[in-house]
Amino acid sequence: MKTDSFASQSRKKIIFGIIIIGFSFLIVRLFQMQILQKGFYDQKSQNNSVKKIDKIPIRGLFLDRNKDVLVNNIPSYSIFLTKAEYNLKQNKLLESVLNLEDGHINKFLKENEKYSKFIQLRLKKDTPFNVIAWIEENYEHLQGISYKIEMQRGYPSDVMGSQMFGYLNEISQNQLNKLKDIYKQGDYIGSTGLEKEYETLLRGEKGYDFILIDSRQKLIKKLKDDNSIPTIKGADLVLTIDKELQKVAEESLKGKKGAIVAIEPKTGEILAMASAPDFDLSKFASVTTDEYLQKLINNPSKPFFNRAIMSVKPPGSTFKILEAIAGLELGVIDKNKTYNCIGGAEFYGRYFKCDAVHGIVNITSAIERSCNVYFYHLIYKIGIKKWNEYAEKFGFGKKTGVDLANEVSGFIPDEKYYIKEYGGNWPKSIMASLAIGQGEVSVDPIQLAQFTSIIANNGNTFQPHILKGYIDTKTNKLVENKTNPIHIDINKEVLDIVKNGMFLVVNGRGTAYASRLPDIIMAGKTGTAENPHGADHALFIGFAPFDDPQIAFSIIVENAGFGASHAAPIGKLLVETYLRNKINKDLNKTVAVK
Amino acid sequence: MNINYNFNDKFDIWFFATIILLLCIGLLAIYSATLNNALVENNFTKQLFWVGIGIIVFFIVFSIPTNTFKNIAWPAYLFSILLLLVVLIMGRKISGAKSWLFFGSLGFQPSEIAKISTILALSSFLCKKDVDIETFKDILIALAIGVAPILLILLEPDMGTVLVFATIFLTIIFWKGISLFGLFVVLSPGIVAVSSLFGTLPFITTLAVVALILIFFKKGLIFSGSLFAINLAAGFFTDFVYHALSPHQQIRIKSFLDPMSDPLGSGYNSIQAKVAIGSGGLFGKGFLEGYQTQLNFIPEQWTDFIYSVIGEEYGFIGSTITLVLFLILFLKILKIANTTKDEFLSLTIIGILSLFFIHFIINVGMAVGIMPVIGIPLPLVSYGGSSLIVNMALLGIVANVFRTRKNYT
Repeated sequence: MKTDSFASQSRKKIIFGIIIIGFSFLIVRLFQMQILQKGFYDQKSQNNSVKKIDKIPIRGLFLDRNKDVLVNNIPSYSIFLTKAEYNLKQNKLLESVLNLEDGHINKFLKENEKYSKFIQLRLKKDTPFNVIAWIEENYEHLQGISYKIEMQRGYPSDVMGSQMFGYLNEISQNQLNKLKDIYKQGDYIGSTGLEKEYETLLRGEKGYDFILIDSRQKLIKKLKDDNSIPTIKGADLVLTIDKELQKVAEESLKGKKGAIVAIEPKTGEILAMASAPDFDLSKFASVTTDEYLQKLINNPSKPFFNRAIMSVKPPGSTFKILEAIAGLELGVIDKNKTYNCIGGAEFYGRYFKCDAVHGIVNITSAIERSCNVYFYHLIYKIGIKKWNEYAEKFGFGKKTGVDLANEVSGFIPDEKYYIKEYGGNWPKSIMASLAIGQGEVSVDPIQLAQFTSIIANNGNTFQPHILKGYIDTKTNKLVENKTNPIHIDINKEVLDIVKNGMFLVVNGRGTAYASRLPDIIMAGKTGTAENPHGADHALFIGFAPFDDPQIAFSIIVENAGFGASHAAPIGKLLVETYLRNKINKDLNKTVAVK
Repeated sequence: MNINYNFNDKFDIWFFATIILLLCIGLLAIYSATLNNALVENNFTKQLFWVGIGIIVFFIVFSIPTNTFKNIAWPAYLFSILLLLVVLIMGRKISGAKSWLFFGSLGFQPSEIAKISTILALSSFLCKKDVDIETFKDILIALAIGVAPILLILLEPDMGTVLVFATIFLTIIFWKGISLFGLFVVLSPGIVAVSSLFGTLPFITTLAVVALILIFFKKGLIFSGSLFAINLAAGFFTDFVYHALSPHQQIRIKSFLDPMSDPLGSGYNSIQAKVAIGSGGLFGKGFLEGYQTQLNFIPEQWTDFIYSVIGEEYGFIGSTITLVLFLILFLKILKIANTTKDEFLSLTIIGILSLFFIHFIINVGMAVGIMPVIGIPLPLVSYGGSSLIVNMALLGIVANVFRTRKNYT
């Protein structure tokens, strides 16, 4: 045993040395980190805990032409899930608390696989406050679950506006790839209708907050040295829509299929645009249940479809107006030209019927009583080439350019088309069908409404539009939406003859006499489009008051039958609603002035 | 023999004051670390309770007859081996290691008790008159005493604790007086083993150095040859053990070699701890003002990463004061080890010193990023009842030996 080496002074010194060396290492390292590299670690610490957070601006409102609110924003609670922290064991509990169906969370996670596990995914919108209270209470046990107050669309008026207003959707991965400078995952973006059309105006500008968060991304506090950038509210849209008229238009189509477009002829401003069936936008703003969505998707009448701009139908007898203008303008007939209606006539070996035996009719009475025979004769005088030219001149066969996506053009056949279909010797008898707006010709309600406006305002109107203007958030002033003027040269006499015919349709012995109004003079033209697949479509175009038209409209009620009995009464209702309200308002104004 | 001591001779008040100061720093840091974390909001109160118990334990151990330690050495050793066996069967897993035994809600790690008893048993064996640390047989017996708990703990598996036992063992045999060559014989397989973790090249280089040293000592071909073979085997064995390790420990080792490889995984703790300490600067951000700490960026910061709390909130000054307190503690223990004439007690105290020092160096080293992240608490400062009680008992032994140091001549 070497007692000399046990606990010897040299061994003590070695241990002492090791302690001192270890100690020095740590001190040097601390000095390096805390004194020399402090800035570096400070920065890291800041990056860790100070986060730039997007502030979502308040989306612009929709106001009607009288500045009544149609679409606004209401606060609601949304629940978010962060995959990195979330424990799947909480599925059952959460699903029952959030009132989600079994397996919803797994499905949700699968759908959101592509997103980083560190971002917050919106699990549920519009959560009741008692659920939020529960989450707040159990926060520590609900890892990966958080909530935020978000704005969702609200619809305070009783106007539906389903297809026209449109709805928002969470931005898709594709859109995000294109627009990643502006949007982030989870942001909402206008998906249909005006929400989509005017997304750039409505969305406003995002702001940023610099906030202190903890390791679980929970907000601790806003930083005092405020570098935050405020949001800029989205511009409020002032629509051309008249709330009351829109409501009546929608209600008059309730339970039916069809569309209504009403325009102020002098300006091209769309006063109402309805398409039925429609759907409840508030259900899209809040939680869209699968059940509701499936019901809409599976509905054969396609509620998502904006019939006012997307549904093409033969115009029926309403097209006789166009033909009358063409005939008179071209001089192939004058107002005294008559034909004898014996209940039908034969053209190119085919017999074409009229609804009645009208006897001797001139152009005015032919319009008034919708005599087919007169127009059969007339179209052969005009010829298909000129007929097609006039149709296109009045805006058929092409989009009106209304400020909504997915508008269709309709179709106005020309000679080329028939040659292609039937060969050079195509049956001219077809033209007789075109004369009464049947066959291959197809138009949509907005084209008919625009056409009616042109006539009502003597050839002058503007491109139809729904946006009257928007209120600039900075200046708080209305920036008007200017659309292209439309001017069509029509001989004054020709217009007078046609308008007189339309006057008589309602106010004479015409097809729509049942829809006349005692105090307001309305003019119009009924139509019934034959439908090889089922009941005929009822049409009515019209304008009022006759002397100074304030409203022009087109109405289609699908599979309803005669235009006179199913569309014209709606026209009466529209005119009554709009003009009575307007007259009352004007009266109030004059009273106030006095 | 009866010598009259004055109070200062019996009780080193500065030694005790250092301990109390470290306990206070620990309590402050734990309070700060758990303030904003509802899951552990009771930890401060619990620790306060354990500090009270710890001080009582310290004084009990301080006042019992000194020869008790030697008497209980072997029974305690056998008892703790038994506990280590029991924990393997009945233990509860916490973060990958089956190292906890629970009596109701009260949990403790048998390896903590094994630390005391192994020190006592090893010292007890080595202080026997007929033991010669230079003989192969006695080295083997000493190794066996040290390795038995190491093997059982390896099975849990708990890397950090294994490292602690290895250090205690080496320090004690070094203190006992093992020759440089003897130390080399014991140590070289370990160094080779560690180097093999870094890849083939470091492994071969280390083997070459071992070969050179063997040639230098000229201890005969057969002896040198077999020692080289043991070294070689250690390298391969380590590779085998590495692959047998639990994944979280493998990742921890890997992430030490390259912490940035997995910034949100196990390197995360290390990076966040560094950020906390570094951003503390000279004076620190102040009590309860550390972002990293208060916002819970460092997982489990009240235990293994408690030093980062001190670093962030009290800065370089606070961190250094903590280090200096430890330095004072270590030097005082070393002095007592050196002045005690009784070989058993001296060995025991040096064992205790090595235990504290290795905990200290690894824990602080880990927080400042110069040591791998192995779960080892900072003595007296980290949260944890059983470790605190054992540490206070160990310091009680030191104080006890100080009290009676003049009885042995």
